[in-house]
Amino acid sequence: MKDNKKNKLTWRKLDNSAKIFPLSTGKKYSTVFRLSVLLKEDIRPQLLQKAVIDTLEKYKSFKVRMKTGLFWYYLEHNTKDPIIEEEKDYPCKYINPKTNRGYLFKVTYFKNKINIDIFHALTDGNSGTTFFKEIVYTYLELSHQEELSSENRQIRKIEYNTEDSYIKNYDKKAKSNASGKKAYELKGRKIKLGAISVIHQIINLEQLKEESKKYNATLTQYLTAVLMYAIYQENYIKYKGKKPIKICIPVNLKKYFPSKTMSNFFSYITIVAQIEKENINTFEKMIEFVKKEFQYSLTEEEITKTMSSNVKLGTNIFIKAIPLFLKKILVRLSYIEIRKYTTITYSNIGRIGMIGDYKKYIDYFLMLIAPEPVEKIKCSSCTFENNMVFTFTSILDNNNIEKKFYDFLTQRGIEIKIESNGVLDDISPETKQ
Amino acid sequence: MIYPQKLSSKKGSKLINILLISSILLAFILIIINRLTTPSIPWAALTNCGIIYVWITVLYSIKKRINIAGHVLLQTIIISAVLLYIDKELGFKGWSIHIAIPIVLMIANLTMLILTIVSYKKYIKYAIYQLMIVLISMIPMVFIMEKMIQPTILNIVAIAISIINLIISLVLSYRDVKDAVIRKFHM
Repeated sequence: MKDNKKNKLTWRKLDNSAKIFPLSTGKKYSTVFRLSVLLKEDIRPQLLQKAVIDTLEKYKSFKVRMKTGLFWYYLEHNTKDPIIEEEKDYPCKYINPKTNRGYLFKVTYFKNKINIDIFHALTDGNSGTTFFKEIVYTYLELSHQEELSSENRQIRKIEYNTEDSYIKNYDKKAKSNASGKKAYELKGRKIKLGAISVIHQIINLEQLKEESKKYNATLTQYLTAVLMYAIYQENYIKYKGKKPIKICIPVNLKKYFPSKTMSNFFSYITIVAQIEKENINTFEKMIEFVKKEFQYSLTEEEITKTMSSNVKLGTNIFIKAIPLFLKKILVRLSYIEIRKYTTITYSNIGRIGMIGDYKKYIDYFLMLIAPEPVEKIKCSSCTFENNMVFTFTSILDNNNIEKKFYDFLTQRGIEIKIESNGVLDDISPETKQ
Repeated sequence: MIYPQKLSSKKGSKLINILLISSILLAFILIIINRLTTPSIPWAALTNCGIIYVWITVLYSIKKRINIAGHVLLQTIIISAVLLYIDKELGFKGWSIHIAIPIVLMIANLTMLILTIVSYKKYIKYAIYQLMIVLISMIPMVFIMEKMIQPTILNIVAIAISIINLIISLVLSYRDVKDAVIRKFHM
């Protein structure tokens, strides 16, 4: 953050990726993701409030509100305390800063669950998890003062910055690798009244690992293939799809480039399956295809190409010079088309590690991404201990894809427990409502 | 259960269909009452426009997550005041109190009823707005009792609807109100 003169509020620019989110966001496209933790005890709101305030003292980059500049939005220090309230609405809904004391994240609770909804302009899933974990640690320390204390936690000096790691790492000469074809769009009637269906499939991790090993695939590769197969069987065939199924997989760039930023630093790879053309119509063919695509796309060279082509847009002098109100119109218009290039997004944030003493208070973590009118289903997953929670957030008024996904895995002997928000029908006899 | 209970997609669709059929039935009943009582004044056309207006407002507000109850209250007050003003400016023939405002109140009550039913498990959220609309709906009653105006069928229907509406809201939100009272006043 830039420290201006005394008494002036500190501010910082949005990172290159974040610049686009406030321009394209609205009530239909919230670009909000959610992280939740299920504890083994009911949440005490006052302690949660204190935990969030304490955490914000450590992670000041989250204690911000968004302001409008002439050419870009920017983030400014927020002097108010955030609002913590009971969960009432559907997850990942648009965060209206006016009713949220300007904050770009919202912490809610429900029974034994703590949620944080984060507007993507603030940070990505990886740094969001770091922030959320700190809230959980602090909350547990406040609610179990005798058993836990921050001194017991081997506190690493929290080293982070808010640099724009995109600018630092992009390659000006890299060529774009963007695929030119529009994607198959999931078909079907939408749920009425703006509702969102949430279905969590809590998968036994060990069994899933064993199954994926049979195909010599990573968990992400295996689940991507299962997802593709479910889409193919339950939507693509029924609606006689012609366009390729495109699955967008966000990638944490911190694995590829040195960075300690708490701002966004992610890119994505897109798995483009030309089902008809390349005759990818069985699960075995799909998993082989997905593995090859991952191997090809997940190289530093390819990732740099994708990242750099996005950065170039944000650094283009002509784009920079367009006034914000005009940028907003142009971005919204262009996004009508851009959104048609993805069938579904699947984001796996991987293992969420917690320190030993704290684990016993936690059941599992959840991650959710907001579905959109074009990308009607979005998928996400995270792992805690021996549970991988695969989540479908959907605005489609049927759960055929979710059910196929569930059936596929359970038929292979993998145990799955289902949790949902009850908007759509149960997909298993064990579903808790 | 790890999420607050929401109206399921099936129940939501069923509810919308029931409300839609009820609206159409209500529109027909109003036309029949209009034909039988005051055929010279086509007020049923106005009420039916109001029903369409209610549907547009409710669906738009739910989709956009607007505090619709507050909007309904505000619109009721403003429209009633404007109608009263126009009537006064045109020599106060009483049509605002006899016809227009009762129609506005009926529409407001209908909107609140739809909203209360659709916003499942959030009845208490709208109870206060509902109460205010009922109080406003009672104003013509005061005029009638003070013999400032002659009661018309529309006035009586509007008052009756608002009272029924309040009772429905209180029944639906009874449990929530009770919980809130216990929580706030526990010793």
